[in-house]
Amino acid sequence: MSTPIAYFVAVSAMLFAIGTVGVLIRKNALVIFMSVELQLNAVNLTLVAFSRMHGNLSGQVLAFFSMVVAAAEVVVGLAIIVTVYRRRRSASVDDLTVLRG
Amino acid sequence: MLDLVWLIPLLPLVGAAAGLLLGRRLGKAAGWLATGLVGLGFVLAVATLLDLLGLPADQRVHVADLFDWISVGTFSVDVALRVDPLSITMTLVVTGVGALIHLYAIGYMDRDPRFGTFFAYLNLFVFFMLMLVLADNYLLLYVGWEGVGLCSYLLIGFWFERPSASSAAKKAFVTTRIGDAAMLLGIVLIWLHVGSLDFGAVFGRGASELTEGTATAIALLLLAGAIGKSAQLPLHVWLPDAMEGPTPVSALIHAATMVTAGVYLVVRSHVLFELSGTALTVVLVVGLVSALYAALASIGQFDLKRALAYSTMSQIGFMFFATGMRFYTGAMLLLVCHAFYKALLFLTAGNVLHGLHDETDMRRMGGLRADMPLSAAWFTIGALSLAGIPPLAGFFAKDQIVGFAATSGREVAWVLASLGAFLSALYIARPLFLTFFGRRRGEEHAHEAPAPMQAPLAVLAFLTVVGGLILGLTAEGGRLARFLEPVVGAVEDGEAALSDAALISISIVLAVAAVAVAFWVWASGRVDWEAFPQRQPELAGWLANAFYLNTLYAWLVQVPGKAFGRALTVVDDRVIDGVVNEFAEDVVEASGVAPRIQRGYVRSYALAFLLGAVALLLFLGLRA
Repeated sequence: MSTPIAYFVAVSAMLFAIGTVGVLIRKNALVIFMSVELQLNAVNLTLVAFSRMHGNLSGQVLAFFSMVVAAAEVVVGLAIIVTVYRRRRSASVDDLTVLRG
Repeated sequence: MLDLVWLIPLLPLVGAAAGLLLGRRLGKAAGWLATGLVGLGFVLAVATLLDLLGLPADQRVHVADLFDWISVGTFSVDVALRVDPLSITMTLVVTGVGALIHLYAIGYMDRDPRFGTFFAYLNLFVFFMLMLVLADNYLLLYVGWEGVGLCSYLLIGFWFERPSASSAAKKAFVTTRIGDAAMLLGIVLIWLHVGSLDFGAVFGRGASELTEGTATAIALLLLAGAIGKSAQLPLHVWLPDAMEGPTPVSALIHAATMVTAGVYLVVRSHVLFELSGTALTVVLVVGLVSALYAALASIGQFDLKRALAYSTMSQIGFMFFATGMRFYTGAMLLLVCHAFYKALLFLTAGNVLHGLHDETDMRRMGGLRADMPLSAAWFTIGALSLAGIPPLAGFFAKDQIVGFAATSGREVAWVLASLGAFLSALYIARPLFLTFFGRRRGEEHAHEAPAPMQAPLAVLAFLTVVGGLILGLTAEGGRLARFLEPVVGAVEDGEAALSDAALISISIVLAVAAVAVAFWVWASGRVDWEAFPQRQPELAGWLANAFYLNTLYAWLVQVPGKAFGRALTVVDDRVIDGVVNEFAEDVVEASGVAPRIQRGYVRSYALAFLLGAVALLLFLGLRA
């Protein structure tokens, strides 16, 4: 007897919502970054869950892909944040308004 | 040697490549290299001629098939060279006279900073000219045809720092291009109706399949190309202006070889022209009218080179005239002899220009024979030959053509041609007397050209003296006529109302009379010819401006062209630019609003992103 799919989707939706709110309301770039990771993993969870439900491995393989990409993205993203912090002594995204029209 | 004929055009091509790539490093050697390669080509051409003469007369055709060039569906063209009496005659003229003119140019162009480039262009010209005459199909001929046009453009505009030279070059290019476009259409027509462009197929199988109407269309289109290249009416306006080029170029391209390509084309395609009687008549009329027109125009010129240019046009008119009467061997004899004496005349004119520091106005010359005895001798030989004084080459060639008009029963044409012959003698004796005889009008002392420039002239003068005797003693039995017979057929025999002796006498009397008149008017000092333009401004204006055809063309082409251009400018400024400018202004205005959206806060971007994603999902969800 397996756990019904609805639980997985519900957890995933909650994680995604937390991540989204985090991205929207936090100021620290690092925290925003972590929230993005939360969103990514919420999606990974649905991928794996649906993959299991359909008995099809594609979803799980895709989850691995997205983890690898996320890892690569973290490397670049963190490097940017560290560089920005070194130059400005701040990781607050509200200070980064150079592109204001 | 017949299979190695491709070496003949290859040599000048190598020379052109070497000259263009290493021109500066070669220095003066560039001239000798170019001359040597063309001279070697002449030696090979003589060897080919000997091989050809070793064959029986009816087998003197050899096609050297080099490689497949284009092969698309049923359309296939080879790069193939045709060696037959006609093409080898042209090859000998191009390489022989060409080598002499190259040799002359070494001295003439001595001080030019672009010495190597000049010889590269000359060699390139010889290459294309050889491709033109040796090609075995119309497409390859067309390549050569356009190639010589390109070289003509490059060489007329060789001193492009002078605006007159560069515009003359453009004029020559554009004017001949009108004819070339028609010629290309003719070639397409040939392919459509015969299915092949090879001379063998077109003149053999193809000729029997063509209807008279098609043949007329093809022949007239080809003729348009020939008229453009050979500077006949009405596409002649470029030739006098082409004299802006260096004199060796005028001698080689605009007198001896390229401008006679039209004659070659018509003679080569005579089978097509004969299928259509109309086309032959057109050739005859165009030739005769051009000959008379240019003769009159030449008499009105005071620029030495322009006078010679109109005389070239007139002589080529005689060649067309002969071709139109189906007297192909006569046309070819005149072509060859004309190459000798016109090259001689032009190069001697080059000596005069060289000696007088580029003075070309004959009103400031006169009496130069004292300073330049050798040049005076060369010019006299050339001029008397063109005038038709026996036994010089021009006498035989021209007399046979005029005589043929009588023996073939064309009385009106004969009278007009005789008039043309008289005018020819008059217009060529005029620069002779104005330049070398009479009273000295310029102050400057002229210096005679150095020996290296005189040597080629001596050879050309020798050829002018003996060329007619060797090649064309009589119309039917001359060596050249007999040699060309397998290609163009035997000369038709006919009976004239007058005996041959009478015809020849008339011809000689006319020539002598014309020279005498010219001497009386321009050298005896008894006629005040310098006052003529004041006394007869109308007539002098018509002659000097060649009947204002240039002005007429300017009115017909330039004025509507400029008006059209101005109209287009308005469209461009108001409509096309207007739309773009209006659009640009709108964008600028809109961009005043757009920046306000860019707040610079990451979270506002993220929110927009989220709302967008939600909206998209809703949209997709509701649609499903």
